[in-house]
Amino acid sequence: MNTYNMVKQRFIKKWINTLHMLDSSIEHPLNVTERKNAIRLSSDLAIAAARSGSTVWSRALISRSGNKTTNKPMARRILKKARNRMKNRCRTLRRNGNFTAKVGVRKRTEFLKSLVPGGELIDDKDYLIRETLDYIVYLRAQVDVMRTVAAVDLVTGNVTNDRRNK
Amino acid sequence: MSNRRSRQSSSASRISDDQMIDLVSKLRQFLPEIHERRRSDKVSASKVLQETCNYIRKLHREVDNLSDRLSQLLDSVDEDSPEAVVIRSLLM
Repeated sequence: MNTYNMVKQRFIKKWINTLHMLDSSIEHPLNVTERKNAIRLSSDLAIAAARSGSTVWSRALISRSGNKTTNKPMARRILKKARNRMKNRCRTLRRNGNFTAKVGVRKRTEFLKSLVPGGELIDDKDYLIRETLDYIVYLRAQVDVMRTVAAVDLVTGNVTNDRRNK
Repeated sequence: MSNRRSRQSSSASRISDDQMIDLVSKLRQFLPEIHERRRSDKVSASKVLQETCNYIRKLHREVDNLSDRLSQLLDSVDEDSPEAVVIRSLLM
């Protein structure tokens, strides 16, 4: 099976889990904004969880998103694991030292670091590039899956082909 | 200060051409907008980084918009309505 499809599958599975997790921890009924935030949060947590492994971005995303959830034992457990691994990872990364570059590249690199979760902790340029590429794959999967779900025709259950509807 | 640093370590620390070529070839799958310079070994690091940042920001915006749309879609759905059944069956 195509790797990208596998990524999307993992994301879908995790998203169902995170939706349930959040659903049990927030107070209903929700207004539209609260629901949007819950959807966004569950989706972000899901791509991070789908990325099983040792990427900085996935743990930073869990850590960052955790601040937005209410206290729940499961969320706290995920956070604790993520934060501990992050601390160890940061120590390793900082030892690799800084890199300098011409002003244009430096500025844009700083900006890239601000876009990739945990990027600000990465000093090694090779590492940053690898993390960025990895993160982009999962971001794309997130968008593709959410777009498909949003395109479901609620009456027939079919996915509308023209995604520009609505 | 940054001048001093770059003079000392410039040979070791600039993003090398090989790395840039590697990054560009990987990004090209995602970024059709990266216009290949006439000589590929002269692809501007700055340009590649810029395109990457633009792309990530675009994806972030899309996730945000889609979260909006999904929450509005769900807002119009009653708990026990047939639409809710469809959504539930989709997610299961």
